[in-house]
Amino acid sequence: MAEVKSWDEVYAIVLKHVRDVLPELQSHAFQPSDSLRELGANSIDRADIVMEVMETLSLDIPRVELLGPRCIGELVDLIHAKLGNA
Amino acid sequence: MPELVISALGVTSAIGQGKAAFAEALFAGRHAFGRLQRPGRSEPGDDSACFLGAEIADLSLPPRLPARSARTASLAAQVAAATLQEAWDEARLDQVDAGRIGLVVGGSNMQQRELVRLQAEFAGRAQYLRPSYATSFLDTDICGLCTELFGIRGFACTLGAASASGQIALIQAAQAVAAGQADACIALGALMDLSYWECQALRSAGAMGSDVFAGEPAQACRPFDRRRDGFIYGENCAALVVETAASARARGLEPYAHIAGCAWVMDANRSTNPSHEGELRALRQALGQAGVDAAMIDYVNPHGTGSPLGDETELRAICDAGLAAASINATKSITGHGLTAAGAVELAAVALQLRAGRLHPTRNLDDPVAPGLNWVGAQARQQSVRWAVSLSMGFGGFNSAVCLRHPQA
Repeated sequence: MAEVKSWDEVYAIVLKHVRDVLPELQSHAFQPSDSLRELGANSIDRADIVMEVMETLSLDIPRVELLGPRCIGELVDLIHAKLGNA
Repeated sequence: MPELVISALGVTSAIGQGKAAFAEALFAGRHAFGRLQRPGRSEPGDDSACFLGAEIADLSLPPRLPARSARTASLAAQVAAATLQEAWDEARLDQVDAGRIGLVVGGSNMQQRELVRLQAEFAGRAQYLRPSYATSFLDTDICGLCTELFGIRGFACTLGAASASGQIALIQAAQAVAAGQADACIALGALMDLSYWECQALRSAGAMGSDVFAGEPAQACRPFDRRRDGFIYGENCAALVVETAASARARGLEPYAHIAGCAWVMDANRSTNPSHEGELRALRQALGQAGVDAAMIDYVNPHGTGSPLGDETELRAICDAGLAAASINATKSITGHGLTAAGAVELAAVALQLRAGRLHPTRNLDDPVAPGLNWVGAQARQQSVRWAVSLSMGFGGFNSAVCLRHPQA
């Protein structure tokens, strides 16, 4: 069951999984405006990141609902909203 | 048909990474056999299962393989990238038009252990399976990874022919260059990453040893010896660069060998049993294409797995092809059987022996099944080889043979 988390907590979880999938970014100073695509993540990398975040948060929502965010901050906004509704 | 050569090569194996380390171990007869230890090579919770073989201890990855790619690349794919790097550098393929470079990856179903491990990891939570499995489960992920890393823009494919895959990759690469499909084509015999499921079936089917030497791994791999009881697995991979002699010369390369003749024939037999007729036909076709009389062949590199029936059948074919006087050794006695990789690894072994003017020993050949043949036994032998032939066979009726000529012959 998904539990409610603050925006900052979700952001930290997302960054953890971004670093898992893109180990080259260990020391990158992330900003919410960073685009995963521009950081070098291809579509499969991005899908892996989102899936790891979903499992960490025990979320099971259709992937189509997670399409659209253009930057990490927008992805966190979307997931945070889903958690709030869970 | 243009004059084709093997202009460069790379090898990664349990007995050494890089052709220098590989050749040194080959000539010394230094093996790496033991109990298979890699995760996924024994059934979880069952310590009684004990498969023998040789595993790569410390794989050095090429700097151009980013950590993000290594994360989802199977062992077979990582080893392919490392092996290709060595061949690529030696061949100076950065100087060749990327659109004119081809890649034939020999093998199918190479990533079995990786798949078993991933499926076990996500069992019970399949909805969270990493999406990258959609591409990494495909053998052709090896093509994708290698062409991305090296910028290859000609053609690429995998080519499955069971344990003949590595040699047949070379034959296909040669045909592609001869047909003008590529200026340089890499034939890569891919590492076959067995899981405990394949090990179990290969043991049960009587192909993989060793019940006899379960407690003595160093003794278990003994092709052509009377006490052999099946093949012993070995992790390995080789990459061979095929191009015309003129193209190699233009980049200042001294070829390892000329590819004088190739043959690839089927037995019309789905099963595992060898065919004297098929092997003989492959040998005769390869020598015929090379235009060389059997009496001119100095050295035979046989498939020689340690299979009780396979070894005897192969020796009969070799003798009936008129090759009984040629020197003969068994590369797998040192490397183990790389299955999909074997044919390419053994062609690399032939190329390195041609260049060294030396033939590597055969381990554990205490009591040869055909003692009258010209065996290179426990010690390496100095010998200048002008003409060599190598054989490969695979389950499902595959037979192939490649005839190589020393560049100065």
